[in-house]
Amino acid sequence: MDITAAFGQRVTQLSQRDPDKARRFLLLGWRANGLKNRLQRGNRSKSDRMLFQAVNAAMVNCLARPEKNVMVSLFTPCEPLLTQGLLPYSCEAFSSYLSGSMAEESFLRHAEDAGIPTSLCSYHKVFIGAAQMALMPRPRFILNTSLACDANTLTFRYLAEHYGVPHFSIDIPYEQTPQAVDYVAGQLREMSGFLEAQTGVPVDEARLIHTVGRGQRTLQFYNDFLTQRAGKELLSDLTSELYRTAAFHLLLGSPESEAVARQMVLEARAAGPARGRQLLWLHTTPYWVPPLRALFDHNPKVQIVASDMSYEGYVPDADPEKPYETMAKRLVYSPFNGPAQRRIDKALKIAKQVHAEGAVWFCHWGCKHTLGGAQLGKRAFEAQGLPTLLLDGDSCDRGFGGEGQAATRMEAFLELLNAQAEGGTA
Amino acid sequence: MNPTHYICKYTPTELLTALGGTCVLLDEAPENFDLSDQVAHPNLCGFGKSILQAVLSGGIRELVLVNCCDTIRSAYDILKEYGNLDFLYMLDLLHNQGGCSVDHAKGQLIALAEAYGTYKGTRFDRAAFLAAFQPERPLTGPHITVLGARMGADLFQMTQQLLPLPTENSTCVNNRSVGAPDPAAEDFDALMEQYARALLGQIPCMRMTDKSGRKQLYNDPGLQGVVYHTVKFCDYYGFEYAQLKEELSVPLLKLESDGTRQSQEQLRTRLEAFAEGFQSQEAPNTGPAAQGYYAGIDSGSTTTDVVILDQDKNIKAKVILPTGAGASGGAARALDQALEAAGLAQQDLIATVTTGYGRSVITAGDKSVTEITCHAKGAHFLNPQVRTVIDIGGQDSKVIRLDDHGGVVNFVMNDKCAAGTGRFLEMMARTLELSLEEISKIGLDWKEDITISSMCTVFADSEVVSLVAQNKALPDIVHGLNNSVAARAAALFRRVKGEAVCMMTGGVSHNQGVVKAIEENLGLPLFIHEDAQLCGALGAALFALELPQA
Repeated sequence: MDITAAFGQRVTQLSQRDPDKARRFLLLGWRANGLKNRLQRGNRSKSDRMLFQAVNAAMVNCLARPEKNVMVSLFTPCEPLLTQGLLPYSCEAFSSYLSGSMAEESFLRHAEDAGIPTSLCSYHKVFIGAAQMALMPRPRFILNTSLACDANTLTFRYLAEHYGVPHFSIDIPYEQTPQAVDYVAGQLREMSGFLEAQTGVPVDEARLIHTVGRGQRTLQFYNDFLTQRAGKELLSDLTSELYRTAAFHLLLGSPESEAVARQMVLEARAAGPARGRQLLWLHTTPYWVPPLRALFDHNPKVQIVASDMSYEGYVPDADPEKPYETMAKRLVYSPFNGPAQRRIDKALKIAKQVHAEGAVWFCHWGCKHTLGGAQLGKRAFEAQGLPTLLLDGDSCDRGFGGEGQAATRMEAFLELLNAQAEGGTA
Repeated sequence: MNPTHYICKYTPTELLTALGGTCVLLDEAPENFDLSDQVAHPNLCGFGKSILQAVLSGGIRELVLVNCCDTIRSAYDILKEYGNLDFLYMLDLLHNQGGCSVDHAKGQLIALAEAYGTYKGTRFDRAAFLAAFQPERPLTGPHITVLGARMGADLFQMTQQLLPLPTENSTCVNNRSVGAPDPAAEDFDALMEQYARALLGQIPCMRMTDKSGRKQLYNDPGLQGVVYHTVKFCDYYGFEYAQLKEELSVPLLKLESDGTRQSQEQLRTRLEAFAEGFQSQEAPNTGPAAQGYYAGIDSGSTTTDVVILDQDKNIKAKVILPTGAGASGGAARALDQALEAAGLAQQDLIATVTTGYGRSVITAGDKSVTEITCHAKGAHFLNPQVRTVIDIGGQDSKVIRLDDHGGVVNFVMNDKCAAGTGRFLEMMARTLELSLEEISKIGLDWKEDITISSMCTVFADSEVVSLVAQNKALPDIVHGLNNSVAARAAALFRRVKGEAVCMMTGGVSHNQGVVKAIEENLGLPLFIHEDAQLCGALGAALFALELPQA
C-alpha cells in the first residue's frame, strides 16, 4: 500500500472514533506535504510550486486556525474577508484535499447514509460527511452565492443549521443587466455589514479597493498568460488546474495569488513552441484517475491550455475603485450565469485566444449545470471546428470507477486530434 | 386553442389566464426518456427529462418555465435549440424572498405579460385576472400527505388508491397558495407588485433560501403519515427528507422514482407495505384459529417458497422451488408439492396468503400481503428478539426494522440497481469463474485487504477484471467484493437505524463471506436461521392464521 493510501486509511479510522485526533493527523499530513513541495522541486514549474504553496497554506490554516475560518461557496467574492484577515475555504477545495489524502470515501458514505442524495455532487457529499463526522472544524460563519450550482443553496444552508452559525446568501439574477449588477452590489454591501456585525471590525473601504484592485490585476495577468501561452509548451498537471481554480477564487485579491499569475506570464513569455495537442478543459479535472494523470501530467504530447473554472471570473471593464460593482460584475457576467450559450461562447473565445485544438467537456457526477450544457456545447464547438469530447467521471470520488473507460475515450480522442494535426483522419 | 403548459407553482397562471391563455400543469410521467436522452445528458433529473420528453414527443406548443434549478435551466436551453415550440419562456425567480426579490419578480411578471400578450395578440383583462384566483382546499381530518419532488399524476393516483386515508399531493409543483390581490389596486403596476408578493409568499419550495414556511406542510394536526417522494438526480428534496426522518413523529415512507412509469411495481410494493403499517394498527383476529391448515406462498423473482402451518403454528410442510417462467404456474407447482409433502389436499387449507413480487398474479390466495410485512412477521416468529431484518435476495435488498410484536417500524429497499444484491455476486462469480458455493467461502481466506471502490456493478466488473490481470489472489478479490456488498447492506441498516438482534434472510444469507463482512462492518453478530429463506412464506402463513374466518 502506498503512503498516501495508508495515510487516508488512518484518517478514516481515526475520524470514526476520535475526530479531533483525525484532524490533527490530517493537519500533520498536509503540513508535511507543504514541506515536501518546498524541499523537492520535482518537475513542477516555479509558478505551479508557488500555486501549490499558496493553496496548501490556505488548507493548512483551515485546519489549524478555525477561529479565522469562513466557509464559502467557490464563487463567493472573498476580498472583503481578506481585508479582515479571515481565511475562506470552499467545499471544492476541502473535499479535493480529502480526496487527495485518499480519505474521501467514508465521509461521502456517511453523508449518503444520513439521507443526503447519492446524486448530489461528490464534493458536496464529502464536505457534508466531514462536517457530520466532526472532522471539519466549525466555521465562524458561512457565505455563499447561488451562482452556477444548486448544491450551494442546499449544502451551505444545511451546514449553517448543522453548526448553528450565521449564514449569508448572495442571490444572483439570471440576466446580465446593469440592474442585476446593482442588485448584487447591494447584497455585497450588505455582506460587508454582516462581516462587520460578526467580527466587530469595519470593512475598510480603502483596503477593500486595494484588495479588489489586486484581484483585478491577477485576473488580467491570467488573461495575459492565456494570450501569451498560445502555441507554447508549458507543462503542468491535472492537480495544478484545481489549484488555479482555488487561487483565482478563494485567494483572489491576495499577494500570493497575484504573484502566481505574474509568474505564469513570465513563464509563458519564455516558453518554447508546443509539440503536442493543446486542449481546452471545461469544469474540474479528475486528477485522481491514474491513466489520465499518466496522459496529462507533464506530458509534452498533450496539455490543458485553459480551464473554464479558472478563467470564468475575468471582466475586462471592471473598475476596482468601485469594489462592490467590480465583484458584482464578476458574478453577474460569469459565463456560468444565465443560458448555457454564454458558457459556450466564452469557451469558444478562449479557445481562439489560446489556440486550443480540441475541448474536453468533463461531466462531473452530480453537476447538473455542466451536464445540462454538455451536448449543446459539443454541438456548438464542433460547428466551429473544435473537436470535443464529452467525458463522464468524478473529480472527487474514487468510488465512481470507470478509469479504464475514461482513459480509452481520452486516448481515442487524442488519436483523432493527432491524426487531424497530421492532415489526415483517425 | 393550444393550452399553455407550466411546471412550477410559482408560474403566474392567473396572469396568463388574464391574457387569454388556458394553463395546464405538465404532470405526465413518460414511459421512457428515449427522446430526451438524444439531446440531453441522461443524468439530468427525471423531472427535467420528462419535460424534454413531453415536448419532443409533440403535442405541446406553449410552455412557460420558471428558473427553478440547474436542470430546468438546462431544459430551457435545450428546448430553445430543439423544442420547436410556438411560445417558450422562462421566468427568473430569485432565491431570497425579501423586498428586492419582489421588485425583481414584478419586473419579470410585466416582461412576461408583454411577451405573452404579443404572442397571443391579447390585452390584460383585469376582471379575468381577479376571477382566476382559486381558494385552497387543503384536506382536513386524518390524512396522509405526499411531500418532496414532483410526483406525476399516474403515480399519485396509484398512491391515493393504495393508501388507507385521504391523501393530498403537496409535492413541489402542487401546494399552490397564491392569495388574490386587492381589487382596489390602482393600476397594472400596483397589481403586479401585489401579485409578485403573493407568488413569493407561498409555502416555499426547497430552492428558496428561507424554507422555514414549509413546516406548515408537516405540522398539521390531522397528518397521519407522510410519503416523501424524491426524483432520481434531483437533490433538493433529499435534504428535507434527511431532516424529516429525524424529526417526524408520524410514519414516513421514502419513495424514489426516476420520473418514468417503469419502476411502478417496486413502488407499489413499498406503498402497500406502508399502507399495511396503518392497517396493522387495527386489531387482528387473535382468537383461536379454526382447526385445519394455513398456507403462505412467497413468489420471488428466483424461487417460490411455500409454508403450511397447522392451527397451532406447527410447520407441516416447507417447499422451495425455482419460480420458472410464470409466477402463477410456479406458485401452483410449489403449493401442490407442499400439500403432497404434508399429506394434505387443497380443501384442507382454511386460508392462504400470498406475498412476493408475483403475489398479485397468483389467484390461489385469500389475501396478499407485501413481502416486507411478511418478512417481519416471519422473522419475529423464528426469533421474537429480532429487531432488524437484512434481506438480500437475487434482485433486491432491503432492511426492515421491527417493533417487539413483529410489526414494521421502518424499511428501506435498494434502488433499481444490481449493486449489493445476489445478482451482483452471481455476475462477479461468473467473471472469476467460480461457483456460487466457491465464492461464498473463498473470501474467508484473504490476506491482502483490497478495496473494490466502484459502487456500480458494471464498473466493479471491470475493476475485478483488472485485479485479475494484476495477479491479485482470488480470496483477496472476493473479500473485497464481500466488503462491497456488506457496505451497501450496512448503509441501508444505518438508514433505518437498525438495532440488534439483527437477522439476515434471503439467498445471500448462505454466503459465509458476505455474512462475516456484514458482521464486521456493523460490529454485531447476525442471526441466521435454517429457515431464513422461508421467512416471507412463513409470515404469509401466519397472516393466513389471523384472517377472519368465514
